[in-house]
Amino acid sequence: MLSERRHIGWHVLLLLICLCVIVPVLFMISNSFKTLQESYHSILQLIPSHPTLSNYRTLDKQINILRMVGNTFLMATLVTLGKVLTGLLAAYGFLNFHFKGKRVVYFLFVATIFVPFTTVMIPNYLVISKMNLLNNVLGVALPQMCDATGIMLFLKAMERVPKSLTESAKVDGIPDRRIFCNIIVPLLKPNIISVGAIFFINSWNEYVWPTLILKDKSSFTLPLALQNYISSEGGTNFPLAMALAVIMIVPPLLIYIVFQRYILSSISNSGLK
Amino acid sequence: MINNSSQVQNKIASRSGPEITGRFRYRLKPLMYLLPSALLLFVFIVIPIGYTFYLSFFNWNLIAPTKEFVGLQNYISVFTDPTNQKVMLNTVIYIILLLILNFIFPYLISLIVNFFIGKMKGAYKVLFFIPSLFSLVVGAMLFSWILNPVSGPAALMLRNFGMKLPQWTNSGSMAIIVICLITNWKVFGYNFILLLTGLGAVPRNILDAAALDGVPKWRVIWNIVLPMNRGVAIYVLILTIVQGLQYVFTPLNVITQGGPYYGSSNILYHTYLNAFVLYKTGSASALATVTFMIFLVLLFVEIKFVEGRNRDVE
Amino acid sequence: METNGFSVELKDVSKSYNKKTNVINEMNLSVRPGEFLVFLGPSGCGKSTTLRMIAGLENPTGGHILINGHDSAAMTSRQRNIAMVFQDYALYPNMTVYQNLEYALRVRKVPKKTRQQRLSTILASLNLSDYKDRYPAQLSGGQKQRVALGRGMAKKSNIFLLDEPLSNIDVQLREKARDQLLQLHAENGQTIIYVTHDQQEAMALGDRIAVINDGKIQMIDTPDNLYRHPTNLFVAQFVGTPQINILPVNFSNHQLTGVDGTVISRPGKNIRANLDEDQSYLLGIRPENVHLHDEQVSGSFPVEVQTIVDYGRYKQLTCKAFGEKFIKAVVNQWPKNATGTACATLDESAMLLFDPNTNQNVLDAQSNYVLE
Repeated sequence: MLSERRHIGWHVLLLLICLCVIVPVLFMISNSFKTLQESYHSILQLIPSHPTLSNYRTLDKQINILRMVGNTFLMATLVTLGKVLTGLLAAYGFLNFHFKGKRVVYFLFVATIFVPFTTVMIPNYLVISKMNLLNNVLGVALPQMCDATGIMLFLKAMERVPKSLTESAKVDGIPDRRIFCNIIVPLLKPNIISVGAIFFINSWNEYVWPTLILKDKSSFTLPLALQNYISSEGGTNFPLAMALAVIMIVPPLLIYIVFQRYILSSISNSGLK
Repeated sequence: MINNSSQVQNKIASRSGPEITGRFRYRLKPLMYLLPSALLLFVFIVIPIGYTFYLSFFNWNLIAPTKEFVGLQNYISVFTDPTNQKVMLNTVIYIILLLILNFIFPYLISLIVNFFIGKMKGAYKVLFFIPSLFSLVVGAMLFSWILNPVSGPAALMLRNFGMKLPQWTNSGSMAIIVICLITNWKVFGYNFILLLTGLGAVPRNILDAAALDGVPKWRVIWNIVLPMNRGVAIYVLILTIVQGLQYVFTPLNVITQGGPYYGSSNILYHTYLNAFVLYKTGSASALATVTFMIFLVLLFVEIKFVEGRNRDVE
Repeated sequence: METNGFSVELKDVSKSYNKKTNVINEMNLSVRPGEFLVFLGPSGCGKSTTLRMIAGLENPTGGHILINGHDSAAMTSRQRNIAMVFQDYALYPNMTVYQNLEYALRVRKVPKKTRQQRLSTILASLNLSDYKDRYPAQLSGGQKQRVALGRGMAKKSNIFLLDEPLSNIDVQLREKARDQLLQLHAENGQTIIYVTHDQQEAMALGDRIAVINDGKIQMIDTPDNLYRHPTNLFVAQFVGTPQINILPVNFSNHQLTGVDGTVISRPGKNIRANLDEDQSYLLGIRPENVHLHDEQVSGSFPVEVQTIVDYGRYKQLTCKAFGEKFIKAVVNQWPKNATGTACATLDESAMLLFDPNTNQNVLDAQSNYVLE
């Protein structure tokens, strides 16, 4: 019992941190339902006295928000598929085959994680622009279709599959690609879900690369739309911006609510070897 | 065991039907699985590194048909140009702030959650992680509203105490602090979970043995837990620098655009500015190559300490 | 200072994790100073939990634990001064052997010179002097175990708790480790409480053995008494390799008969005194007390030898008897493939009888074995 009382002090600190973490989000949601006037008059009031959907309606008409959502969704899906597929294939390649210089090759793959985007952005921009993929979702997705983080995570997960499963299949003469498709991949389903969810959310939120490639407003993804709205179209209408932000955070939150256990366990394990 | 697996290999080899024979087949197969990733990484990362390096020896503006060769001039100006120097200094400030906010702070909290409380660990993980789900644009917008010196809630509350919130966008150093805070809001939960998991991997028996020896908790943490957790800690530390410097790009671009007068810019943002705003491709490439070198050093540190560490624990 | 002179006492100790079921149920135990006591039982019976409660790593939900006569609930680890050796030794991986042994002393601010003296003696007695600068990862299982013991000796603990410390050592080396442990005990006289699920190990090491099942001590006694006079069926079956034979029998007309009516024996007066007429019992007889003969001997019953397993030291025969029941016998000599009918007698002085409902030994432990 003594220990419970001592813990309360720590919990107070931790709850304070929770507040700092969550309260901004609450303000954001609350403001999205306020009119501009109300937001000025009742800044600290969390629950709006006259909640309204006017901001959302304006977004729909003025900014064609649905198109943005579509762009973002398409891009995130393409990137996620690319990263997951290439990641699974490469991880299996490293798991299953032993060839000279394998460690060096693996090291090179992993080293790509440490390359800052500024080192590659100029040439990639030139390539995409030469391929005429500027202002195109494909132009954003293509350079990102492979992520060595995914290869590392999938390889770790594959190494946890008992070797006896794959070896007995090999002794039975089952070809590698079938072992890959019918044994390894189904066993990795939770990892695919969690890694895929993380990739999707990160891609959904991406700002840097889309900013370079997408210049045409109609091709914007949501983060770009938000930034554009704040800096040019009068960042003084905060409730409108907040509404846009709320729309932006809904899909990641939904994914989190559904797959939270997978996502957190995947992240937890990514630090351990 | 060794005999066993060579028997297995022989069985596999003998059942390999009418396919391409022996060594050639063994060289082809892994290639097919690794090819898509290798190709993508090669085309979009390896070659660009080389091309950026190549570009750093020229003056160009991204559009003109000819480039002017200038040798090492761009590299010299990386270290001598006053703006560049200011930006490099800023980068150091960023790194220090990021380490404090995104490494030390989450580490302290993860120690508290792992060793000083009993319940609700899972709940805190779930809650702390939520901002990681949001785009930094959202974070930037949110905090520039909250910290708005005129109409933001923070300023309002301070006014009640007779204090004024300064116009932080006008000061380079204050802007840096705010931008680091925004990044911290997003990254705290993620780093916290990584560190917490590392702490949780310390075997319970060792903690029991220390408890039996009568060792006070803080000493257990300092002498035993932290050294054992070194691998994870260094990994997170390097992640903080590498990811952090790239993350701050977004709030920089959204709020201050590097200003005022490059007061809040860092080496990565300055590279971007040079490349796509000032169209000084050569300078940008030189800056980018220097950044890459720095990150390579960090990569070697990671390998030496993290991989080596793991071999010890085995 | 010490109320009863016991090293460790458990008084009605209970432990529950979910407020519904008790993992340990009102356990009572008194450990004498200098005793080598073994907790023996199957996995999950609660022996490790009891050990951890004595160590202070967990608190009992009911009852009291006394260390050297004082209630342990209010004690700090230092006051308890108990040494514990874990199954995986729990050595601090980032410290050398010397630093591992030294750590508890450093924390207690023991002066450096005293530390050095004490530790060099301990290192010498454990044959670890040459390894003092090595890290745990570089040691063998046996060496790690000695370091773990050394940690306790450095603290000058009088009570050592060992949780299955030999299970991570190769079988061939286990005996040597066992001997070293016994020698240590003989030299230093600490109270040792040793947890294991290996009954042979328990029999070899313990002064007394506490057989634990379902959170309760089934029986606590010397190895010999456990073997010859088990108080209940569980103890009889848990102790002894090969396992004891248990056969359902009936007692009527002064005879013990098998399920198919075959007469097994006509027990003597002392045994009969404990049995009720027309009652069924469970007969326990160890394989080495089942004697097989080629031809009929008085008081024997027919069996059919089915399989013979040669263990080198002895041969184990599995026989069919009383219709569908199996009985195992252990003999030194038996013709190689001689399966088939034979005659068996049971050593009456070694017979055990259990009540089929309570599983308790119905024969009074002591008075019975005055041979007739």
